[in-house]
Parts: sequence; C-alpha cells; structure tokens
Amino acid sequence: LTKRAYQTARLSELELPEHPQHPEWARWATVRHYFGISAFGINAWTARERGQELIGEHDELGPRAGGHEELYFVVSGHARFTVDGDTFDAPAGTFVFVGDPGTKRAAVSRDGGTTVLVVGAKPGEPFEPSPWERAAPAFAYFATEEFDKAIEVLARAHRDHPDDAGVLFNLACAESRSGDGAAALSHLAQAIELDDQFRDLARSDSDFDSIPAEPGFSRVVESAPAS
Amino acid sequence: MTASRFETAGLDELEAFPLGENGPVWRPVRRHFDIGAFGVNVYTGANPGDPVISEHSEAMNGHEELYLVTAGHAVFIIDGEEIDAPAGTFIFVDPEISRAAVAKASNTAILVVGGRRGEAFQVSAWEVSLAAFGYLRAGADDQGLEIMKSALERDPEAWPVHYNFACYESLAGRTEEIFGHLCRAIQLNPKAQELAREDSDFAAVRDHPEFVRLTERQEPG
Repeated sequence: LTKRAYQTARLSELELPEHPQHPEWARWATVRHYFGISAFGINAWTARERGQELIGEHDELGPRAGGHEELYFVVSGHARFTVDGDTFDAPAGTFVFVGDPGTKRAAVSRDGGTTVLVVGAKPGEPFEPSPWERAAPAFAYFATEEFDKAIEVLARAHRDHPDDAGVLFNLACAESRSGDGAAALSHLAQAIELDDQFRDLARSDSDFDSIPAEPGFSRVVESAPAS
Repeated sequence: MTASRFETAGLDELEAFPLGENGPVWRPVRRHFDIGAFGVNVYTGANPGDPVISEHSEAMNGHEELYLVTAGHAVFIIDGEEIDAPAGTFIFVDPEISRAAVAKASNTAILVVGGRRGEAFQVSAWEVSLAAFGYLRAGADDQGLEIMKSALERDPEAWPVHYNFACYESLAGRTEEIFGHLCRAIQLNPKAQELAREDSDFAAVRDHPEFVRLTERQEPG
C-alpha cells in the first residue's frame, strides 16, 4: 500500500503459476505477500483434484518456522485434516485452530477446488514473515523460467536470513537452472551443512539435473553426515 | 487451548451476536478459540441490503484489516468508493480509512483478519464489549457483566474498558454504576468526554445531573 488506502484482488489472481517440476503441488495464493501485510501471516492453498496435498505435514517449531499459532479455514470444497494424529473431515466453513506450535498438522483435499486459508502469527510478539514465505515470489519465476529474477529474490532472502537452509537450497536450485553450477554447488553445500534433509532432496530434485558433472556434486550430496 | 492441542468449529457452531436491531451478525472467531496472535471474526448478513460490516475506521486500534468475502456477494464502501465484492474477493484496508459493507446476496459472510503492524497483538476493547453487549441484548446480563469485570481486572487502567463498562451499565439500566467508570475513562483520556456526549448508549442518562457535569465543555479561559 503506497498510494492507495486499500487494495482488492480475487483469490485466483493471487495464485502462483503451476511449478513446472511440481505439478502435484496445490496452487499457492500468496495473500500476505501480495498485499504487503505486516501484522499477520496469511496464505491460501487450492487443490486441483481430490486427494491432493493442501497443507504439508509440519509443525511451527524450529528455525524455519515462526512458532506461530495457526488458524485454518476451509473456504470452499472439502478437506481432511490430520492434527496431532487425529484425522477428521473439514467441509467448507470449518475452522481448525492449532495453538500449540509443536503440534503436527497436515491436510489433503477430498474435492477438487478445495481452498484452505491459513492465518498465523506468534502471540506476544510483533509479526515477522517466515523466511520461506519471504521467498514466495521466487516460485513464480521458476514457473516462468525467469531464473535470474528468482536468484535476485532468493539472494535477498538469503541476505535477510543467512542461516535459513531452505532459502539456500532454493537459491542453489535457481542457480543450477540458470546454468551457474559453481554457485549452485556452493549454496547447496551450505544448505546441507545447515540441514541434512536437503542432501536427499538434492539427489532427487530435477533442478540439479544439469550439475552432476560439476566437480564436487557427488561429494556434497553423497557424503554421510559426520557422526 | 487448554487440554486439547487443537480445536475445530464450523462457522455455524460459533456464537452469533446481532449488532443492534438491524445490524450485522457477529461471529467472534478469535474469542471462540482464544487466539492470542491476531484478530479474526466473521460477519454475516442474511438478506440483500443487510449491513455486513458496520461503517468504521481502525484509526484508534491502528489495525490493518484484510477482508475476504467467503460466501454470497457484498458491496463495500471504502473511503466513499463503492466496490463490488463477490465471494472470493479480498480487500485490504489501511487503518485510517472508513469502510463498510452490505450484502448483495442472501447469506453473505465476510471473514476479517486484523492486527497492528510492528506490534504484538492485543485484544481490542471493542471486541470484549461487543461480546458483553451481545449477551446483554440476549437477556444474559450475568454473562455480559462477567466479561466486563474480567476485562477490567486484566486492564484496570485502560480508558476504553472503563468507557465501555459505563456504556454497558447504561444499557443495563444501572444508572448509579455508570458515572464512576465514565469519570475514570475521562481522567485517563479526555477524549472520552466528547465521545460520551454523542454516544447513544447514554441516551437514558443524557439529562442526569452527574452525566451533564461529567460531559460539560470547559469554557475557554
């Protein structure tokens, strides 16, 4: 909001284009980012088909999460949530509030066209967007194959959150796709050093198809973590 | 959140408070779940032409607000401009701007999320009083009074809490209980005096000598 005192948009206008490497992902409407909201986090996910993952299993602990209370609202369609091991149906109009950041939660669609809105923030603290969410616009550039722009967004997120392994991993993906294998390898190594789960992800992520020939790739992704 | 690590509720399961005789119906989502990090509510209008969002600004709270039309079809009036808003429309509004919405279709529902940028969320005094007033209108004075007393216990020096408590007592018809709270509200924020002069909640005591004394303008000099 710079010149206008209000902004409007339809949900469908806020959705990122389909990720070419991950057509199975639900459509992500980057609501907070689009409006420049500073007081709370808010996003929406829409499933194309029945059985599609809407909310990947996660909790709100750890360095990549915000320790947020989260409120989910099924705007349309029909979702099935699994929270703290309980699985339950959530038709349109259902709220699911997960106040405990340590509780695991996930959701899949039971109908195509199911949209789940998520609002989150940490009680008692001013809101700060999560690092992964700050990098949201980069995913749109992956879809349009504008990798230089994706690198710009992710490099900025990396400057703001130098220890965020996810941002480093995605930066490496963008650099690999843009043909800068050396930079990709360097950032991938840093991501794996911070969080070993990215070692397995790198092996299977097609964004790195172009760099196995790069000296050091095998060493980075295949060496076992130090015990 | 006490024993359970999560809670669910359908929109229709939330309490519904009509805001005045011809006003919107408020469903207090934040209050239901005791959310501490942001404000969130749903307002509904049953018939075309019904108000869904009462005209207001957030200048006092400083909240930025995001509206989502989740069902039906609304028309917003923002800063004097009319905006057509079918289901699926988001509207994000700066705090100082006047905004209102009416239903254009039956069973229109609008979800509102709010908070103050750069600051930890605090429950607004209006939210507490709306719930208390809702119980009072429904004939449940005990529950309403309990809400107001708890608010005062939590925040004994907040002028809006004293002010709203005075309004509550006025609407409940307990004249003698009004003035202590109104006096304290004015001491904490002289703006309360001006608000009280125009506030229809005090209609029943407008000519009461104590109300006149508390709200009379000071002559300059």
